[in-house]
Amino acid sequence: MGKEVIVVGGGIAGMQAALSLRERGAEPVIVERAERLGGKLAGWHKLFPTFTPAEEVLGPLRRRVEEAGIRVLTGTEVEELVPGGVVVSGGRRLAGDATVVCSGFELFDARLKEEYGYGIYDNVFTTVDVERMFNEGRVATAQGAAPRRIAFLHCVGSRDEKVGAHHCSRVCCITGVKQAIEMKELFPAAEIYNFYMDIRMFGPGYEELYRRAQLDYHINFVRGRISEASQTIDGRVQIKAEDTLVGRPLKMTVDMLVLIVGMKGGASNGSFARSGGLQVAGNGFMQPLDPFAGNVLSQRDDVFYAGTVTAPKNIGESLNEGVAVAERVAGYLKL
Amino acid sequence: MMTYYDHFVIPFLVGTFFMFAVLLWKWGRWLWMLPGEDKRAVGRGIFSAETFRAVREVVCESLLHRKIFRVNPLLGYMHMSLAFGWFLLIAVGWVEAATVLGPGTPLQAHVFFRYFGPEGEAGWNPFAFVMDLLLLMVLSGVLLAWFKRMRSRAMGMKRTTRHVFVDRVALTALWLIFPLRLTAESFTAAIRHNGGFLTGSLGDLIASGMSAATVADLNTAAWWAYSFALAAFFIAMPFSRYMHIFTEVPLIFLRRYRLRSGPREKSFDNFQIQACSRCGICLDPCQLQRDLGLDNVQSVYFLRDRRYGKLTDEVLGNCLMCGLCEARCPVGIELNVLRLNSRQKRVDSPALMRYDYLKGADRSSGSGKVGYFAGCMTLLTPATLQAMEKIFAAAGEEVWWADRDGGSCCGRPLKLSGEVNAAERIMERNKELFRKHGIATLVTSCPICLKVFREDYALEGIEVLHHTEYILRLMRAGRLDVERTPDTFTYHDPCELGRGSGIYEEPRELIRSVGRLTEPAHHGAEALCCGSSLANTVIDDGQQVAIGRAMTAELEATGAKTIVTACPLCKKAVGRAASVRVADVAQVVAEHLRVAAEVPCGKVRTEPVGERIAAAEAASGR
Repeated sequence: MGKEVIVVGGGIAGMQAALSLRERGAEPVIVERAERLGGKLAGWHKLFPTFTPAEEVLGPLRRRVEEAGIRVLTGTEVEELVPGGVVVSGGRRLAGDATVVCSGFELFDARLKEEYGYGIYDNVFTTVDVERMFNEGRVATAQGAAPRRIAFLHCVGSRDEKVGAHHCSRVCCITGVKQAIEMKELFPAAEIYNFYMDIRMFGPGYEELYRRAQLDYHINFVRGRISEASQTIDGRVQIKAEDTLVGRPLKMTVDMLVLIVGMKGGASNGSFARSGGLQVAGNGFMQPLDPFAGNVLSQRDDVFYAGTVTAPKNIGESLNEGVAVAERVAGYLKL
Repeated sequence: MMTYYDHFVIPFLVGTFFMFAVLLWKWGRWLWMLPGEDKRAVGRGIFSAETFRAVREVVCESLLHRKIFRVNPLLGYMHMSLAFGWFLLIAVGWVEAATVLGPGTPLQAHVFFRYFGPEGEAGWNPFAFVMDLLLLMVLSGVLLAWFKRMRSRAMGMKRTTRHVFVDRVALTALWLIFPLRLTAESFTAAIRHNGGFLTGSLGDLIASGMSAATVADLNTAAWWAYSFALAAFFIAMPFSRYMHIFTEVPLIFLRRYRLRSGPREKSFDNFQIQACSRCGICLDPCQLQRDLGLDNVQSVYFLRDRRYGKLTDEVLGNCLMCGLCEARCPVGIELNVLRLNSRQKRVDSPALMRYDYLKGADRSSGSGKVGYFAGCMTLLTPATLQAMEKIFAAAGEEVWWADRDGGSCCGRPLKLSGEVNAAERIMERNKELFRKHGIATLVTSCPICLKVFREDYALEGIEVLHHTEYILRLMRAGRLDVERTPDTFTYHDPCELGRGSGIYEEPRELIRSVGRLTEPAHHGAEALCCGSSLANTVIDDGQQVAIGRAMTAELEATGAKTIVTACPLCKKAVGRAASVRVADVAQVVAEHLRVAAEVPCGKVRTEPVGERIAAAEAASGR
């Protein structure tokens, strides 16, 4: 029997790490908090920038994990990292020769930006709600009508000192562009506005999609953050913002306000750091050993990282780290 | 006739006259420069009962240090033994000199009485006994002061003030004065046998161990040293923290005559500033100290820097104005008012045109005798606003909404940053607006607005209420009905509402009407600041969050499921640090409203409970 490696988290990075480890002859075990593998991607409809259905990435990964006979513990949460293994919910110890932490990120809680009225007004949504609506196949306002004007607000919970989040979550810009296009395709007559501070299109094909959104889909990009929102008598959302390129304040009533929520460090990062002797970076994500050659390494020899547990990443980057971490674990375990 | 003169009295006399000259010059100038209004207040007060009250307060505070006793008994004793003990030494010494040497003796005769007085006679000398007892009391205070330097914690103070050079000179002199007096009097007692139980015994010991010539030489040297120590202290005193010894006395009188510092600097400020003893009691409660390790911005340093003309923006702006230190100041100095008028002096500019666009601006809606002013922070926390809408509707109150669709600022943030002129212009506009709509009650959800409405707006005929006061009134009048649940809540006192406006009970009573209330370690008048105070213009968001985390930890330690507060700014600040739900009192009440209490909107309900029930029954039967 091969050496046991505990993979904390069964999202895409965790599944890929387990698969790559198995190929090298290790005995990975995936410990997943939810009832099913898939992580945050499980709630997603289509992927930027190609509009590939999320299922086309997730399905094969899940199938390969199953075919490889990898042990999976779902509904199990890792509470502590201890020498020689982990402690899972209920205080049970799980022994392993190495641990790969792929516990991912948390979504920013939009209710903390109370001025935008999420959870208070009927027609304020997050990007996650929008994906859910796409998946359910029914996109409508709370009153059940087709939206005629939609506003997307970028950087909710990212690059915002007021909520203690200084970092950029990277993938939300392109998510906002993607969802704006999808909305336009669903409601061709609707006016769509994206309110932004900067548009950061870092990946291949992203900038091109951003350009198409403007030229082909006539989506309006307004540089300026929304300062506050309020609900009108008929349940629509009135927003106040400043168009900083024109230098004028603006007021607009929309049928839907979509908050593009950012990524923040996992809620268990603190307890992982305390119990495992690891470091949490200032932005709340785990601090890898170094940002160049040690991206998947931690301060401890037998603990490794893959995916968004260390920083916001897109799907390709997360999967690559799943592959890379297997190489490092193999080196450590002399597989 | 005896002249009571020896060369060693010169330093003492020079020091004494110098000190009183400087004191009189300072006080005279400050009094002269008082604005006419303040001078008239002094004129009115001086022949009133306030003067007697002031005398009593001077005895209690300047001599007995009652307030310091409340901080820590040992600390109180230390100050009392030094101040009151020294006072009695002078007073009893004067009586003794007058009794023995006759009236009209010069100053040095009773200060150096043992030296100039008669030889000791056989038998018990009550004066010598009392004077030795008093000296012993002062010496015990000096010993405690030394002990405090080494271990301040034992005397209830974790931190003590870092002193400037002139303070150190004065302090050293003060510490030397009494041991030197003991030495000098003991040597004299060795020669003249005029000591009491303490100096007499020491004198006998000296006489038995030294030759008469050595004793005579050392006697002269000790009196010289004592005189020099006194001189050093008196000369340094008016420029050091010890200026408080005398300045607290006129301050108490002027305060009794209703003099207060104001939004702009004035002469009375000098009495407050120089009455600061730099005791450092303001250091320990400061959260900037405790949570951020900032140790050079507290009130004691602000007053010191302002007094010596070395105030920087860094020190001036770095204060939450939570009022925790002000509440503990044993001298009762108006720390926040002084800091604000320093800011005014630095940043204020005439705002002649700046807010002209507000003239006639009116985005208000609705009409009613009750006006509601949400304030900008409540507009940014719409759950509170929504809760208020629900409560007004449930009570059937007709409301004039001052700023629901946007309005102007209450002016307090500008005041806090020193822009008094601009604040006054905005306040004028708001006042016009309130008057125009003929409201009788003005309700606000923001304690920051509340404070400025109450203190600076002069809204005669309009009662200003915080929403917690207003909601409680509705409930007591039977116009609101809430459901009790077994849930536990904890409450955070906003600084502007609690210490700032004295509202502690209303929000608590509202919470108790819907569930169980558990209090955090610091609450009520001792409550901590959320860290996001508008008054601090220096610390960054990260530092605000650090303070917020520390105070939120206390709230979470109560185990309550919901943290309740009554200020939109506090709600945001606690919200970003908490792992449990944070809500305004209004939200908590609105969520627990009994549906039966809902009545058709637009109908003013002022009937008592019985009639209300009857009306509700009639309405349901319709």
